[in-house]
Amino acid sequence: MRPRALPTFAALLGTLTLAACGGGGAAQAPKADAAATPEFSGTLSILTKFAGDPTGPYFEKLTAAYAKQHPQVKFELIQETDQSVKDKLKTLTASDALPDIYFTWTGNWADNYIRGGRAADLSAVIGPDTAWGKTFSPGSLAAFARDGKYYGIPLYGNGKFMGYSKSAFAKAGVEVPRTFEELVAACGPLRKAGYEPVAFGNKDGWPALHYLQQLFAYNVPDATLQADFDPATAKLDDPGYVTALNQFKTLVDQCTDTREGTNGVLYSSAQEAFAGGKAAMYYQEILEFDNATSDKVKPDDFGIFQLPVPRNAPGDGAVLEGSPEGYLVNARSPRVALAVDFMKFVTSQENARTLSAPPYGQPSTVVGAVTPETSSKAVYEGVQLVNKAPKLAIWLDTVTVPEVADAWLAGGEALISGGTTAEKVLESVRQASESAK
Amino acid sequence: MRATLRRTLGLAWVLPALVLVGVFVYLPLVQNLQFSTAKWDIYSGGQEFVGLGNYTKLAEDPVFWSSLGNNVLYAAVSIVFQVFGALLLAALIESVRSERWQRALRAIYFIPSAISLTVAGLLFYFLYEPNLGPLNHALRAAGLGELAQAWLGQESTAMSAIIAMSQWQGFGYSTLLFAVAIQRIPGEIYGAAAIDGVGPVGRFFHVTVPLVREMTGLMAIVTLSGAFQVFNEVMVMTAGGPNNSTQVLGTWLYRSGFVRNNFGYAAAIATVLFAITLAVAVAQLWVTRRRRVEW
Repeated sequence: MRPRALPTFAALLGTLTLAACGGGGAAQAPKADAAATPEFSGTLSILTKFAGDPTGPYFEKLTAAYAKQHPQVKFELIQETDQSVKDKLKTLTASDALPDIYFTWTGNWADNYIRGGRAADLSAVIGPDTAWGKTFSPGSLAAFARDGKYYGIPLYGNGKFMGYSKSAFAKAGVEVPRTFEELVAACGPLRKAGYEPVAFGNKDGWPALHYLQQLFAYNVPDATLQADFDPATAKLDDPGYVTALNQFKTLVDQCTDTREGTNGVLYSSAQEAFAGGKAAMYYQEILEFDNATSDKVKPDDFGIFQLPVPRNAPGDGAVLEGSPEGYLVNARSPRVALAVDFMKFVTSQENARTLSAPPYGQPSTVVGAVTPETSSKAVYEGVQLVNKAPKLAIWLDTVTVPEVADAWLAGGEALISGGTTAEKVLESVRQASESAK
Repeated sequence: MRATLRRTLGLAWVLPALVLVGVFVYLPLVQNLQFSTAKWDIYSGGQEFVGLGNYTKLAEDPVFWSSLGNNVLYAAVSIVFQVFGALLLAALIESVRSERWQRALRAIYFIPSAISLTVAGLLFYFLYEPNLGPLNHALRAAGLGELAQAWLGQESTAMSAIIAMSQWQGFGYSTLLFAVAIQRIPGEIYGAAAIDGVGPVGRFFHVTVPLVREMTGLMAIVTLSGAFQVFNEVMVMTAGGPNNSTQVLGTWLYRSGFVRNNFGYAAAIATVLFAITLAVAVAQLWVTRRRRVEW
């Protein structure tokens, strides 16, 4: 064996060092005039999570179009994937090298940047009463607000649904389940009909969190849940957690073919199993709908339903898991006004419609962008359901602090592989929350 | 006077290199030590001095200890396979009379080492995949279907599966180095042993093993050091999961910093890792200085 990890280790160490060199407290965001008239020159840097197909070309085309209108403006486009953008953002934050515009999730993720003074206050330009702000759905704007100020530019809305093959259900003689128990009961007939009932890959850990967060919303009263996301007020003693964890375990054991080996399967492998017609269901985000169909599962064969509510669940059955995702403008950028102007261009009605339509299929948060004419049937239906939901449950790995999210992640994996019990998982999360106080 | 001038000039020549090494090697080490005594919020940039708080937390962290345990397991298996196993294999290859076959065998064993760890990790990820992976297919085809499982998806098998891949990847490199060391042993020694009636096994234990002990010591140290720095293969294949069962110090350091936002804590892990590898490096220097074999 060679000392081959040395470069990696050195890189990690170097990152920490560079961060210190870059240092400098950023707790107080410098006053940036987002409403100023932009100076159309210089290089605007943007970090997206649109790398790869089909979304990769979206920002490439927009930056090219904007540069055509303003030839003095150059772009540095950094495109990352859903997984890699997390590391990239933290590295750039630690080394005080955030781009002018950068991707963010809602919840604790965005709060960290706002609290740290890294996100420009855009209230003057994107507040709900401003001309630009009125173009967005109010809920999506509110998702990035803190203490009455508006920081984020929501780009698209998102929600999690069970996608299913209508023909598989017909072949197995099952109806769309109305309760969680009916969903589990449908798995037997679907398996008999030759399908894996639910394709599920949890190699990265977070797919399990998506099931858990929706089940928590159903089984734990909302006020308790919200208090438990913050370590300062968390008790994590509601019996609904254990119920939800056990329901999740039941679903894995009875509805997936991989069962306790699900942690060894890639999320994309599960996605392909569904698109390839081998699985009858697959729990997915609206963003994935346009990729879920194929020659085997044609758009007309593809249906969606919200993960059904378990019988007698004490939580809120109408809560849907999902949240908008968007962009922040670097409070320290010397080009805040230009960044705002570019993002106004990105979220114009025309560009918002393009984003919502195939092949991108990312349902824009701009009012009127998602219509039956511009979007696929499933995306349109998903967005209507998201808009109808009285409340969205934000992803578990971004709504709470990372240490607690990580404990849920490890717990979800352990539950799948059968290495622990629901009670022990909850205890480990409680300890993580205590330690994060 | 001329000697002093020469010495001064010499120092001037190495000064840029010294500055570079100082800034990019030693300064990070010192700063890492400083970070390990702080609670560092990367978002606000603020650092709060916590003394040995991160180290105390480390001592109470079960994942840190299981990570260290995995590194130790990694080291133990690597020593067996990549030092003793590789030495045995090298001796077998070198005992093959045909030069052409020797070359072919060396190449066959070395090829896995030429593949990058990331690529090898991905390759084995798909090999181990529970549904589509060839390993489970092969087991089922051989009538051993009950052994088919999610190798990387279960706490009981994931670490062993990663270690197995790592041995596959590193074995050829060690074998090649031992083969070179064996080739350096003068043929007369083997000839004399043969005349004295020593058989192949005896020649291995009484000639080969003592005369490659310098290389054996070096390989043991390098293998040990590598086992504590392991990162890439774990990251690619499991990222430390499931349920942290495959965390090693490198991945736990990464996860603590980049996922859990505890950069001060990550720096404390880095310091412990540095102390371990420094100890191994010092041992390496000592071994290579003292174990020189002359003939």
